[in-house]
Amino acid sequence: MSDFLQTSEEEAREYQPRYKILYGIILICCTLILGRLWFLQIMLGTELRQVSEKNRVKESKLPSPRGLFLDRENRVLVDNLPGFDASISPQYAKKLEETSEAVGQVIGQPGKQIVDLVRKTQRRDGPFRAVKIKDNLTFEEFFRLKLLRWDFPGLNLNESILRYYNLAENGAQLFGYVAEISREQIPKFNEFYQGKFAFDQGDIIGKSGLEETWDTTIRGKDGVAFVEVDARGREAPSDNPNYFGFKPLPAMPGHNLVLTIDKDLQEAAYKAMNRQDAVGPRIGGVIVMKSNGEILAWVNTPSYDPNNFSTGIPPQIWAQLINDPFRPLRNKVIQDHFSPGSTFKPIVALAAISEKIVTPTSLVNAPGTLKFGRRVYHESHKTNNGMINIVKAIEVSSNVFFYKMGIQLGIDRLAPYAKVLGLGAKTGISMTHEVSGLIPTSEWKVKKLGEEWQPGENLSNAIGQGFVLVTALQMAVAYNAIGQDGKVFKPFLIKKILGQDSTVIQEFQPQLVRDASEPNEYGVIIDKSTFKAVKEGMRRVVEGEGGTARASRLEGVEMAGKTGTTQVRSFSADEIYNRCDSRPITQRHHGWFVAFAPVENPEITVAVLAQHSCSGARGGAPIVHDVMTAYFDKYHPELAKAALEKKALKAGKKAAPKPVPVPAGVIEEAE
Amino acid sequence: MRLGPELLNAGLNVEERNRFSRLDLNFAFVILALNLIGLINLYSATHGAFSKDKMDLFWMQLAWLSVGWSVFLAVTMIDYKFFVRIAYILYGLNIGALVFVELFGKTSLGATRWIDLGFFRYQPSETMKGIMVIVLAKILSTRTYPKGMGLAELALPAALFFVPFVLVVKQPDLGTAMMLLAITGSMLIFVGVRKGILIFTAIVAVVAAPIVWNFALRDYQKNRVLTFLSPGRDPRGTGYNSIQSKIAVGSGKVLGKGFRKGTQSQLEFLPERHTDFIFSVLSEEHGFIGSATTLGLFVILYLMAVRIAISARDKAGALMVVGVFSYLFWAVFVNMGMVIGILPIVGVPLPLLSYGGSSLLTTMTGLGLISSVAYRRYLF
Repeated sequence: MSDFLQTSEEEAREYQPRYKILYGIILICCTLILGRLWFLQIMLGTELRQVSEKNRVKESKLPSPRGLFLDRENRVLVDNLPGFDASISPQYAKKLEETSEAVGQVIGQPGKQIVDLVRKTQRRDGPFRAVKIKDNLTFEEFFRLKLLRWDFPGLNLNESILRYYNLAENGAQLFGYVAEISREQIPKFNEFYQGKFAFDQGDIIGKSGLEETWDTTIRGKDGVAFVEVDARGREAPSDNPNYFGFKPLPAMPGHNLVLTIDKDLQEAAYKAMNRQDAVGPRIGGVIVMKSNGEILAWVNTPSYDPNNFSTGIPPQIWAQLINDPFRPLRNKVIQDHFSPGSTFKPIVALAAISEKIVTPTSLVNAPGTLKFGRRVYHESHKTNNGMINIVKAIEVSSNVFFYKMGIQLGIDRLAPYAKVLGLGAKTGISMTHEVSGLIPTSEWKVKKLGEEWQPGENLSNAIGQGFVLVTALQMAVAYNAIGQDGKVFKPFLIKKILGQDSTVIQEFQPQLVRDASEPNEYGVIIDKSTFKAVKEGMRRVVEGEGGTARASRLEGVEMAGKTGTTQVRSFSADEIYNRCDSRPITQRHHGWFVAFAPVENPEITVAVLAQHSCSGARGGAPIVHDVMTAYFDKYHPELAKAALEKKALKAGKKAAPKPVPVPAGVIEEAE
Repeated sequence: MRLGPELLNAGLNVEERNRFSRLDLNFAFVILALNLIGLINLYSATHGAFSKDKMDLFWMQLAWLSVGWSVFLAVTMIDYKFFVRIAYILYGLNIGALVFVELFGKTSLGATRWIDLGFFRYQPSETMKGIMVIVLAKILSTRTYPKGMGLAELALPAALFFVPFVLVVKQPDLGTAMMLLAITGSMLIFVGVRKGILIFTAIVAVVAAPIVWNFALRDYQKNRVLTFLSPGRDPRGTGYNSIQSKIAVGSGKVLGKGFRKGTQSQLEFLPERHTDFIFSVLSEEHGFIGSATTLGLFVILYLMAVRIAISARDKAGALMVVGVFSYLFWAVFVNMGMVIGILPIVGVPLPLLSYGGSSLLTTMTGLGLISSVAYRRYLF
């Protein structure tokens, strides 16, 4: 310590010259601050005093209108309507009780309730956030409140934008709905979008369907208005840029979406699903797809009215929706998967011919029963079809024929043919919550269930039961691919993204995923002649004497398709066709019908799933018939006309022909 | 006459007689004056029509102030050499606390900064500023650098700086990290760094700036800088605060609007008006007279601190004063600069005026160190 004391004195002197620097820095920096204070307080003082006294600028949000949804012919499907809401700013509502009482009388709520709401929100959010009292005011309420505003400072009327769904229930799952962002979502969204979008309480976001999937494209950007607050706290928007040049930032409307949807077909499909016949309104879904993958209609039933969400959904309606056993909120066509049933048979047929199990003309015995292992497998109604070829087998939907194909193919040789057509994998459509379905393999079963593949399972899977699961959209894609001789197109819903002034920002082209008739990643090639044979079988399903969907023939256009009926739960083989109609509805079979038309040069594919309709022929096929008719009436009216003329000509020759009744229910579907 | 610590401890009578006469009373009075201005101003900032939730903060600050003065007096009485001796222990403890915060700290407003001690939320990054001053004073005072410090000599101080700097940046608490940088930089440059190294550092800083901009800064931080450069670009966020603050300051004119009569502050146009933007409340309500007086008191405080450093008994003492001075000086400059719109918005509180226990304690401890050096200075 002592040497420290001796030397420290000398050493401390070493710094002496440097202190001048400190004085210099103090002088410079403090002069800078003092100068700036002088500039602000003395030179600009009077001006800034005025700014602070009179121009108490507060910011307020200008909501951006969401982009519209247009159909392929630019008809508006989802629109924005102006709406008004009322709110109370606690900091200016000096007479809160009186204000609430007066407002309450107009909107039909007790004043006390409003006071409580304001107080409660104020405790949480502070006095500066206006408390929303009522959304979606009627015009009468709006004008009466507008008068009140002058007597009750703190009462605000704000313009808002209401989302309006022109088709209401029709396509609700496709378009989705919008609602206020939830408190939990705000931080998550802000984290996710990292400043690209800033979400705040009260912001409207897409909660399902296209509204959710394309939210960032259609939501636009909110603007800011700078609002002058006068001495009594009333707000008046100001256009004059204030002192520091803050100009109001106009809201940027979101981009409009031109969908591939055809409004007429969407309406026809929805109408068809709600047709009044013996089966009654269908539960399920319809996909109408053009041969290039454009979706023309997308229907799920039962449905709900998304307009309810725009104006704030009443709790009892919400409870009803989520408790409905038939799940109106779900996008069943992609969100649920089902056994394809007999609609799987054409794919098995493609595999059987390609793998040279049979040729299109080889005859196979298809008796009423087939014993395999210890079990006996049945033809429907134990019909003995005798010696039939594969085309006939598709026409009459012979189970025994396809059991035999299944046995000889084995699941691992069959699976690639389903996958190459797009089954068992997500189609990649731009829509949230798509499921992938399942095409099983023996390897999959070992991995997933830890069990070996049983030979008997080859039989059930060959007729689309067992593990095979598909979505309605996948069926449309796969059948379209059959119609196009192997070309698998990716389904898509958005044709164009339009900016303001209808400038095209992005245009989407059809996308060929693969061609099954050419080498591909699944290592199977399906020859064009194979498609031809299978398509002939599918044509006869509708046009043939023994066709299962003969009742749903079209006027003037030939279509090719396949019916399917799938069990909801396991019934014994005998039980399956016994009195389906008399079972409780939730135990009835699902009906499928998937078809494309015209056979020679398919333009559209329609896939219908009619849940609990008992049969594909009676549940699904009539829907396809209606939709196809609507399509050809719109795009090829000459075809039906020509057919009618031909008929009339024939009738003239034959003179009073006997009408051929086609009683529904007579043609039972084979399984 | 000069008294070493040994003598002070030994001769009771001398000590008692000298205890208060040796205390730099003028220095204490200036601090007290700033405390009073701070309290009056804080009362106004926390007793607006719409700030009922903040009323308690005034009384809290009063309590902290009494704690702060106790610490000030205690530190004054303790020989600052004692702190120099235990510098590494203090440093180690503080780094430990920072690591603890990193691992288990309480998170608030997206940043993890404190350890909850029940009665007090201890914020290790605050004390780090003081400890940094002491550690650097210890290292730098042991040698002379006639040509200025070279790379080899800079290695240890740089390492000691970077560890807490990185930890604080990670919290993230950029305001405090900047203050650590300002303290360390000021002390090193004061002692002397070779010109070549200074030029090289400047070049590196210029080159690194775009890299830091692109990879290290968060969006809100970039926004603050961009907004500072062009106030109109982000009218909803940082631009709004900055504009409202400038309006508040300017509208005070010469005499101000009067105690608790500032419309900008009372009507809540000002954000964070009891902490980072406290000076705009003062400027609005007390005008140019009030703000210039406050600035003047700070200048007096600085000049006194420099005088104390000049008369310090040894290098460690002088360096300690320079360190604390540099903290007080840069914090005031950055805070006021932000409030009056000549610097971007950075979360640095105004020493002695902003609300906050940690900040007040750090400041009072630092001032205590200066006072301790003054207590043991040469009397010419």
